Amino acid sequence: MIDVEFLAGKALQMRRQVLEMAVRKESGHVSTAFSQMELTVALYYGGLLNVDPKNPKWDGRDRFILSKGQGGLGLYPILADLGFFSEEEIDRFASPGGILGVHAEYNVPGIEVLTGSLGHGLPIALGMAHAARLANKKHFIFCLLGDGELYEGSNWEALFTAGGRYNESSAVGAYGHLILIVDNNKQATIGMHDELLYASDGPGLDPLANKLAAFGCEIRECDGHDFNDIFKSLEGFRDWPLITKPLCVIAHTDKGHGASVMQDVRLWHYRAPLGADLEQSKKELGME
Amino acid sequence: MSYEATPRIIGQRDAFFNALFDIFKADSNCILITADNGAPSLDQFVEQTPRQFIQVGIAEQNMIGMASGLAQEGKRVWTYCIAPFATSHVHEFVKLDVCASKLPITILGVGAGYAYAEMGPSHHTADDISIMRTCCGLEIYSPADSVCGAALAKLSYERLTPKYIRFDRAGIPNIYKADEYDFKPLTFLYPNWRKSECDAWIVSSGIMTHTALKVSEFFLKEKLEFGVVDVARVWPFDKDEFLAHVGQKNIITLEEHFLSGGLGSIVSEVLHDADNLNSLLRVGIPDVYHFEPWGRDEAHKKYGLTVDGVVKRIKDYLGEDWQ
Repeated sequence: MIDVEFLAGKALQMRRQVLEMAVRKESGHVSTAFSQMELTVALYYGGLLNVDPKNPKWDGRDRFILSKGQGGLGLYPILADLGFFSEEEIDRFASPGGILGVHAEYNVPGIEVLTGSLGHGLPIALGMAHAARLANKKHFIFCLLGDGELYEGSNWEALFTAGGRYNESSAVGAYGHLILIVDNNKQATIGMHDELLYASDGPGLDPLANKLAAFGCEIRECDGHDFNDIFKSLEGFRDWPLITKPLCVIAHTDKGHGASVMQDVRLWHYRAPLGADLEQSKKELGME
Repeated sequence: MSYEATPRIIGQRDAFFNALFDIFKADSNCILITADNGAPSLDQFVEQTPRQFIQVGIAEQNMIGMASGLAQEGKRVWTYCIAPFATSHVHEFVKLDVCASKLPITILGVGAGYAYAEMGPSHHTADDISIMRTCCGLEIYSPADSVCGAALAKLSYERLTPKYIRFDRAGIPNIYKADEYDFKPLTFLYPNWRKSECDAWIVSSGIMTHTALKVSEFFLKEKLEFGVVDVARVWPFDKDEFLAHVGQKNIITLEEHFLSGGLGSIVSEVLHDADNLNSLLRVGIPDVYHFEPWGRDEAHKKYGLTVDGVVKRIKDYLGEDWQ
């Protein structure tokens, strides 16, 4: 049974912390953190991701790769809340003595790999999936990607192998225990899918589902801010055969979801709100 | 010094793979990934250790990323493709996924320098040392022969560091004897193979060590003793060992690599940082792309990297003093 109210409460709590961290440092990708928030809350608090905060390197854990490394700001409060590291680290975000920077780095307990440059997470996740297969391990490898990130060719290089035909001899191909989640907020940095200056239709990511399906993925789509829909999209993944199509969830999201001043406004990719914008955002997040 | 070309022998890469194969048979934790580059010596991996071999296709970024994921899960990983595609083509993946992630992955690139001379700038590897030594913690190896090449297989298995090995193509004679060889980052080769006080040192690696030895032979006829420093590990450069040996003697660096950032640059940095005032001549490729597809020898003639060319450069450099 999914406790939507509990999860929504966690998402709100995390958004507040993200805003506080970013405002304090006048740094960090707030809108991207808000875009992915329900996805990561569902994974970490909804029983989807099998991890142990007291033993972050436990061998049987599911691997969660934050390929969109700029989303680190959104993940840190979750990891701190679960006890991967001290809440004091949240206060020391991007400050002397702290371990948390703007982008995800592997020295942070709970962060698997160094990301920040886009297009690195999926090839690494694929390597981890292959290692798991060779060792007959049953854990899953989740990789959270941004839609803007999918313009990086390395993702498609990885998909040739990830979704490719299974080779009996080498055991390469068709990684059923690799799960891609695309935070599809249709924004990237300077906007691609809006009607303004920069390429009104974007340079060709759509139809995304068709492209990923053609590369051998099993496609499911969901509203990335609706917990019921997110869980539905991942339904039964533990029973997914280990040798079959990788599951790819395309989560439709709004960049900056939860704060109307930044929601789907491209100015906010890397910017912390100030003044009236901050007051408005705080009000909407119930931070008065 | 007696430098004699031996009959055609196994190439560095194949000597390496043959030695690596023995390691793979003994340790199933080892994985080799190729980006669609083959070799006769690779077939044994495909046939006998298929679960330790991955062909990712012409996808070098994925090759390095996948190697990183495997290594993070405890696998020992080697990647293999043509040298420019293992270096400049995937530099950031090596930088972040291998080096910043501190993983013991060995990147194998075949075709150092102008080994693929007739194939144009896309296949020339005259920039790999300068590019790859910016990857913090990466060790760069440049074997001069197959004996060293084979030794690097064991070394790459035993040393838990990120590495890049640049191989030449087949057909290069051996300098070292397999039963006497122990890998050293720098090997000091004395004229007539006897330790003596040299008049100058030629510093080189890979195929250029062979040219350096022939240049040394020439000068010996002129009653000048030029030692040769064969640099098998280019980076990090073993500066203490180097400075201890070369003293204040004249130094000539010889490389089939751009002068920007290669072996000559490394030696000049070492000398400068040590406040040494050795006179230094850097012989290498000027920073231009080479478009004349007439073979390696022609390229060497053009840039003064033949034995005659190097002798002339040294004589010009030393001026009246050279004899």
